[in-house]
Amino acid sequence: MTLLSVQGLQSEFRTARGVVKAVRGVDLTVAAGEVLGIVGESGSGKSVTCMSILKLLKRQGHITAGKALFQGRDLLTLSEAQLSDIRGDEIAVIFQDPMSSLNPTLTVGAQVIEVILRHRKVSRAQARARAVELFDLVRIPAAESRVDAYPHEFSGGMRQRAMIAMALACDPKLLIADEPTTALDVTIQRQILTLLKDIQARMGMAMILITHDLGVIAETCDRVCVMYGGLVMEEAPVKALFARPSHPYTRGLLAAVPDLRDGMRQRLSPIPGSPPDMADPPPGCPFAPRCPAAMVHCVAERPPLFIATDTPRLGGGQSARCWLMHPDAPEVSP
Amino acid sequence: MSDLVELIDLKRYFGGGGNRFTGVQPVLRAVDGVSLTIRRGETLGLVGESGCGKSTLARTLIRLYRPTGGRILFDGQDITTLPDRDMQAVRRRMQMIFQDPYASLNGRMSVADLVAEPLEIAGIGTRASRRDTVAGLLERVGLGPEHAGRYPHEFSGGQRQRIGIARAIALDPDLVICDEPISALDVSIQAQVVNMLEDLQAERGLTYLFITHDLSMVRHISTRIGVMYLGRIVELAANAQLYERPRHPYTRALLASIPVADPGARRPATPMRGEIPSPLNIPSGCRFRGRCPLATDLCAAQEPALQDAGDGHLVACHYPDATDPQQGETT
Repeated sequence: MTLLSVQGLQSEFRTARGVVKAVRGVDLTVAAGEVLGIVGESGSGKSVTCMSILKLLKRQGHITAGKALFQGRDLLTLSEAQLSDIRGDEIAVIFQDPMSSLNPTLTVGAQVIEVILRHRKVSRAQARARAVELFDLVRIPAAESRVDAYPHEFSGGMRQRAMIAMALACDPKLLIADEPTTALDVTIQRQILTLLKDIQARMGMAMILITHDLGVIAETCDRVCVMYGGLVMEEAPVKALFARPSHPYTRGLLAAVPDLRDGMRQRLSPIPGSPPDMADPPPGCPFAPRCPAAMVHCVAERPPLFIATDTPRLGGGQSARCWLMHPDAPEVSP
Repeated sequence: MSDLVELIDLKRYFGGGGNRFTGVQPVLRAVDGVSLTIRRGETLGLVGESGCGKSTLARTLIRLYRPTGGRILFDGQDITTLPDRDMQAVRRRMQMIFQDPYASLNGRMSVADLVAEPLEIAGIGTRASRRDTVAGLLERVGLGPEHAGRYPHEFSGGQRQRIGIARAIALDPDLVICDEPISALDVSIQAQVVNMLEDLQAERGLTYLFITHDLSMVRHISTRIGVMYLGRIVELAANAQLYERPRHPYTRALLASIPVADPGARRPATPMRGEIPSPLNIPSGCRFRGRCPLATDLCAAQEPALQDAGDGHLVACHYPDATDPQQGETT
């Protein structure tokens, strides 16, 4: 069952440097209980896509086209009041840096209680009991007393747990996690990922996980969107993406990371060049200037998203925005 | 002599000062007795979680911080208490590349001036000859002559790191300390920078101290790797030894924590418990015992020394040959 369906989303930022077209026509769907990974480098539009869905863009940000249907309702047409009923209740978000999303002058518990009271008709005592329960759920030790601690008294890992507790306060149907472990050490990242995955499966909650780390994607997601230049370049079930990456950008990304198991000292294969300037993106495929397989046509016209039923070059459930998927294009071996 | 750097029981503490109004401030033992050598021409990787003291160690090594105790030998010379004036000549031979090139480059200087600055300070060449040297350096790091007149904000993160590298190699140093040089860069750019560092090492015979928390990249680039925990080296071994046969339970837990870009890979059954304790309040005995699945009374009573377990594989653990009961197998 489709929980969220984003169609033709476009967002831009009006800056002194000109209009930055951060998201240029993104389609994606999230089924109930599914974990969708969005992977991409900085400036690829992955965070802006998710912030657009909740209309949480900064002041210069504008959504210029598209729909975001959540259980059939278009979030982009809702009023601010209607949206704030949904945010924190049916859809919750956690960010990379928990310190900047927590109010330093309030106890962590007070902030969780505030969310519960905003969305549920319960007494303050009931809300507090729920907060303690949530702290237990995210395995904050001594939950009963830690509820009354201030954010600065928590370590980075514990703050992220508190943020997760707050996000889970109203049993959301969809959790958007924007680089939730990027600021954390690797052993703490392992704890948080295990926790998120465990809670997600237990509560049957859907999750969008935004990250730049292909390892995190491989370990947590069911399906993956690879973004570049404000577009989804490839979408695939997680196993297919790593076994048979079809877009040259995805293949480039996978080749650029050292393989821990294959030993050492093999020369890395970087992707040449740098990502496009989104104030002046290339007219055709945004990856064409860096693509080892680019053809004349790639520079001229933006490729559509080919799906598995269009072309024998894609496996089941896979789609790719690449002219190489066109039946008339030359065969390129990966 | 093949050792470029030798650290002997190096210590760097912060705080502990104070006066009659503030009272005595607590002592933070950031680097707490580190002994290691860096061999000429090698890349010594240094890994550990934030707060383990790896950056402080690097900064103390090049005397940006005054050591609290211990000794630093650089190319056979004891530089622990070398006066600043004499230190200048030594510092020319040790350079540093920082994580955030934007923060470490003066935004009001053009690229040409930034790269020429170390040459000027060292008094090398004339203005005209320096211009040629700078052009050569920029070309070497993949920047064109058209970039020379531009300012740092006009560049991408990867290009800025190239400027930082050009500055670091301008004086032909022996030792380059790379402090998280690729952590702020995108994946596709990281490989470009790492390949360049490897090429420069081969061309110029550089020795690297490569500090990172990225355990995949450190394996790729390092000859030997040291693992730091709470101000101490807990394990130090050749690259393959460390990854294929880690002997310290902390190293095993670290390696098991790395997310693997393969959906079919085996995951550890249980993540390592707990967090790194505060360096203001270091546990007695083994510093890792609070998180260690193997800890016994001996570990609480006595701090294990860093000892050679055979073939230069150093480990500071009372039970270097035990297997962890809780951790799954490391992949």
